[in-house]
Amino acid sequence: MNKTLDPTTDYYAVLGVSDNADQVEIKHAYRALARKLHPDSGNGDVAAFRMMQEAYEVLRSPALRKAYDRQREARGLGPQIPLQCDITLSRQVVQVLSVPQVVYVLVDIKPPQDLSPVRLPLNLALVIDRSTSMQGTRISNVKLAAMNLVDSLLPEDRMAIIAFSDRAETLVGSTGAQDKTSLRSAISQLVPGGGTEILQGLRMGLQEIRRHANRNYSNHLVLLTDGRTYGDEEDALAEAQLASADGIGISALGIGDDWNDLFLDSLARRGNGLCEYIQSPAQLHTLLQNHIRDLSSTAARNLSFDVNCAEGAELRAAFRAMPYMSDLKPQPGQAIFLGNLGSEAIVVMLELVLRSPRSGERRVARLNIAGQVGGASEPMSLHRDVFIQFVESPPTQGPPTARLVNLLARLSIFRLQERAWEALESGDVRQATSLLESAATRLFEIGYRQLGQATLKEADRVARSGEPTMSGRKTVRFGTRGLTSRSSEQWR
Amino acid sequence: MSEKHGEMKCPSCGSENLPGTLFCVQCGTYLPSGGPLRTEPFSEQSQMRARPWTRDSGNDDDRVVGIELEVLETHRRVLLSAESDILIGRLDAAHGIFPEMDLTADGGLEHGVSRRQARIYVREGGWFVEDLDSTNGTFLNDERLTPYLPYRFHDSDIITLGTLRVQIMIHRESKAVI
Ligand SMILES: [Zn+2]
Repeated sequence: MNKTLDPTTDYYAVLGVSDNADQVEIKHAYRALARKLHPDSGNGDVAAFRMMQEAYEVLRSPALRKAYDRQREARGLGPQIPLQCDITLSRQVVQVLSVPQVVYVLVDIKPPQDLSPVRLPLNLALVIDRSTSMQGTRISNVKLAAMNLVDSLLPEDRMAIIAFSDRAETLVGSTGAQDKTSLRSAISQLVPGGGTEILQGLRMGLQEIRRHANRNYSNHLVLLTDGRTYGDEEDALAEAQLASADGIGISALGIGDDWNDLFLDSLARRGNGLCEYIQSPAQLHTLLQNHIRDLSSTAARNLSFDVNCAEGAELRAAFRAMPYMSDLKPQPGQAIFLGNLGSEAIVVMLELVLRSPRSGERRVARLNIAGQVGGASEPMSLHRDVFIQFVESPPTQGPPTARLVNLLARLSIFRLQERAWEALESGDVRQATSLLESAATRLFEIGYRQLGQATLKEADRVARSGEPTMSGRKTVRFGTRGLTSRSSEQWR
Repeated sequence: MSEKHGEMKCPSCGSENLPGTLFCVQCGTYLPSGGPLRTEPFSEQSQMRARPWTRDSGNDDDRVVGIELEVLETHRRVLLSAESDILIGRLDAAHGIFPEMDLTADGGLEHGVSRRQARIYVREGGWFVEDLDSTNGTFLNDERLTPYLPYRFHDSDIITLGTLRVQIMIHRESKAVI
């Protein structure tokens, strides 16, 4: 038979086999279907029979199958990461203008309904600040939360415990969770005293994780601190970057008001982890438990995405909008890490700037999303294209969806206050004050009275002293960051 | 609401934003809700579908096509069609409140305007205003309205929303023109 390949037809689906089926499976599937669909049989179907034959002709020949697979891959029809990925644009039809213009792209990444999260064994290091300021209730709360954490580990998990002040020591090296006694006794050895130097603790924690790190574990370091580290920030950030390249995540939980949220935030961002603000002991316990649960229960791991812009298009900004907000700070040519996908969707907002010299429908960007699903260690990927129709006369189209406007309203508040802190770092008190006041006004507008008041108060302090307060800045930053989550109701 | 050419000026802070921007980069104002000194254009279609004149409307011989509101504080004028009810208040994208007449840019918050402050509409050829149980009240020629009751108003009346005063100009179209 003279075969022409049709890459748009899914021959695997026609035969009802997976795309990595071997020759035996393919032959079995063919025979079963042939008996069922043969025109001579009772419920024969000529068209279906021909299609099934065509599929078999291609897939049984290794050469043809390879060519077919390659053609499908080139068209983006190859094996795909089984995630739901939906795209919503602020507008799809754009008027040709002489100036650049903005289109927002909302990307929803969700596990498909039939994909239940897999529990990955944990490979953890708990790095605990035992500086003098931790004395009293703080250290006892940390101990309690750590003990509870040990209790919740499963036998296949591992954990190491490191304490640090001016220097660091490994209280217990990476230990299998069947030996909970060693872990508990290490925690009980925590005695406060000394200063806060994060780098050494971080290095020791990472060293313990690396002993057992592999792709079938969720490898993560959790840093608990209440203070500021001085002089070793740059090195710590570099360590986080290296760790993340090795598939090790870093999260930072800051206790009280004295730690440097800007530093720990960037540490966690580079480490693909989370930075949290802990105001009360009860919070520490639940946050730690939830965080560890999210680490082990994932539908997809090590998700990353990159945005390839066509000529005339540019990615100006990228933000994570949910489950919490963060600036993804895209760098040209570099993938953006999104970490693990649990049961909650990851929502990303992209801001594209388009130049539109002529009319017509064009692809302005392609998003590639890659990651590992379930127990699979090989990464898979999928892509989505952003098409825009450029027209000469002003298009008539409805307003963007309420959901997009809603998320963007909150993101723009988050951005205003983030820019305020940046302005303040570079010494522009006026700009910082004005940005904070704007953020406060917008918070009042969407009904977040309490958070609006806190922001206004901080704007006032900044205007008068030129400095933020440690507690005020944290309240504003962590409050606005959570505006898209359910927990934000407390700020109304 | 993108400008035909060039950038969009934010009504609150005057910053330039690229067309298509939804929230002002400098101050976060929702840009599609219009700006100062800008008259909302009246599309031909909405004029055609304007509420018809009815025989009960007495001396209102002409067809009501729209209403123009001038915020006396900022001199911003907005022309709105009589086609459907007009909500006056402050935009709250989060709760899906998109008033036809959004007073955010006129200092609505500072003047005590509620998000859903009042609505105005045409019935039987006459214009009515109704307060929506707003926090600081709605006034017609300085008399406070009882919430949820319709009050008829006329050309050049003044409606006060919280403490923001708005002058009314009713636009009519002579029947002879149609
Ligand atoms: Zn502005």
